[in-house]
Amino acid sequence: MNGIVSELPWLWAGLGAYFVATLIAMWGVVPRFAGVPFVKTKRHEHVVMIFLVVGILLLTMAIAARWIRIGHGPWISLFELLVSQLWSLGIIFFLLYWRLPGLRPSAVVVLPVMWILGSWVLILEPTASHFPATYYNSWKWVHVGLGKVFLALLLAGVGLAGVMVLRRTQRGQRWFSSMPSDAVVDHLAWRFMMLALVFDSLMLIAGAVWAQDAWGRYWAWDSLETSAFLTWLFLAIGLHVRLSYRVPTWVSGLMIIGIFAMAFATYFGTPYISSAAHKGMV
Amino acid sequence: MLTIIQKLASLKFTLVGMVLLGVGASLSYGNPTDIPVWVLVVPMILLVVNLSAAILTNPRINQQSGLLVFHVSLLVIVILAAVGRLTHMDAHIELVVGSVFARQNLQEIKSGPLHGGNLDDVSFVQGPFSVQYAPGMQRGLTHSQVKIKNKRGEWQDKVVGDDRPLIINGYRFYTTFNKGFTSVLTWVPDEGEAVTGTVNMPSYPLFEYKQDNRWTPPGGDEIKFWLQLRTNMDEKNAWVLEQGSSSGVLVVVTSANRYEVPLGGFVQLGNGRLQFDDLRMWMGYRLFYDPTIQWMFFVSIAGVMGLGYYFWKKMNVQPWMVEASVAETSKKMMINDNHSTKRNVAMEDQS
Ligand code: HEM
Repeated sequence: MNGIVSELPWLWAGLGAYFVATLIAMWGVVPRFAGVPFVKTKRHEHVVMIFLVVGILLLTMAIAARWIRIGHGPWISLFELLVSQLWSLGIIFFLLYWRLPGLRPSAVVVLPVMWILGSWVLILEPTASHFPATYYNSWKWVHVGLGKVFLALLLAGVGLAGVMVLRRTQRGQRWFSSMPSDAVVDHLAWRFMMLALVFDSLMLIAGAVWAQDAWGRYWAWDSLETSAFLTWLFLAIGLHVRLSYRVPTWVSGLMIIGIFAMAFATYFGTPYISSAAHKGMV
Repeated sequence: MLTIIQKLASLKFTLVGMVLLGVGASLSYGNPTDIPVWVLVVPMILLVVNLSAAILTNPRINQQSGLLVFHVSLLVIVILAAVGRLTHMDAHIELVVGSVFARQNLQEIKSGPLHGGNLDDVSFVQGPFSVQYAPGMQRGLTHSQVKIKNKRGEWQDKVVGDDRPLIINGYRFYTTFNKGFTSVLTWVPDEGEAVTGTVNMPSYPLFEYKQDNRWTPPGGDEIKFWLQLRTNMDEKNAWVLEQGSSSGVLVVVTSANRYEVPLGGFVQLGNGRLQFDDLRMWMGYRLFYDPTIQWMFFVSIAGVMGLGYYFWKKMNVQPWMVEASVAETSKKMMINDNHSTKRNVAMEDQS
């Protein structure tokens, strides 16, 4: 690597802002660190929002700086994908956090998940990537955009799933005592899953149109397509299990975490471990 | 009869079908050659039976219009995919610049038993093309010029490549990474008529190190050719592959001798003369035909719209604000009451 490239300081600052937001959100659910039994005001939530916005702006700068440096957007390498997801997940989670106060404490689950991406990006080289010919297609915007909303909805679901699972412990019950009952949390979580299914389906359709244009076939069960199909199927199974059985909320939470894990592997694992055509390079 | 259909419509059966489909998809991960396609087809057939039965008998699905549209579209997509497999055609073709598409030259043809497209009416002429390369030999945009006949019978120029296939009669031609050079040769036998033909060399720059091929002239011994090419190829910097800026010398190797033939030159062999008339390029296309793809697109969009409508209605019955108001209540209650169990009971009542 040749020294510090232009996007790195912005990236570090953006991740720093997310980190502060994470700590404040944690302080909000474990107020005894501040010597009080519970947080009477919700003012800290505004601070979380401010740091999220600052983080998003700084990451926007990181993406812009890299775009200018290498001449194309964050579409290709794992480094680019992670930065771009940190940015879009941040935006969508911020909007949900802002509009749905009931889910705010779940930020203590959501933000650490974003930290997995954050720490991962820090160990990657920001080497300039090659922009393949197939990426000139405008469907990539639709496909990638829908995918971002899909993953963010799953992440919001995971936040609530984490709350349901952690509430199996006494400590978890204390942390999330300001949140609605498990039944309400579960209900909200699956709403996110339903919306995720809509966006996932649209993402797959847009991806198929792009694949038809780019490689002359809309679906070929390559590794990424198979993995994406499994994620969609897991969502379908999850929704149907709930139609057929009374699922305890913690099991329901584990199901959501499982679906998210599959989506996570599809996004950040499959394209980089398989040499299949889907990389778009050939 | 009805009870049998009702049993087939069981949602537990749906789950079994979905899990089997998941297993089938996992087994086919990465398209291994030793896994038969049945691991996907059998669960799909199970699900089609199950879903058809549910649509017929289950009011939870057939009386909620959005959900019904979504599930019917799932069925139709599976049916369309099957029709697509039966009617599709997949093939490859290498077209030399200046030549006309001819179906006899198609290679690796795979077509469904009910394929009925009109390939005989497909006609176009391959024009020059260029392929851009970024530093490090990374392939960029391909611009391939073709001439097609429009409805009035006039020739029209078109540029295709990468994301822009050439579409004629529903047949889609995609440029591929496979392209290279060809030598136009004329064989003038000592007795008989001269024949002109092309000998395509392997893909370039992929097989830049082995630009060779062989040919046996009528009544003669096998001849080996080797093209000594001079192109813009540059491993470190950006460059463009095109016919105009490429040249080459044909090396002809017979069992006895080795000759270097420049463009326009010839070599006298045992029973005839071999002329090196021209150096041209060929483009490898992938041909794809599936009459269901547009339908597939519209049906899937309709399905998602149905699903969206169903969720929209469902979420409006108990809107997002319920959660918000629950949160509001929880905030108010927090100030007066720090007992979480009581609070949860109260909130469950409201939800
Ligand atoms: C193949 C056999 C299938 C059958 C027999 C079936 C049947 C049903 C039935 C009866 C419902 C009940 C609606 C209600 O109670 O409100 C339902 C809901 C639903 N199904 Fe299916 N389905 C099948 C496949 C699928 C697949 C592959 C998906 C893909 C994602 C899917 C997605 C959904 C969704 C999202 C709902 C709504 C869930 C909810 O409101 O919580 N179904 N299905």
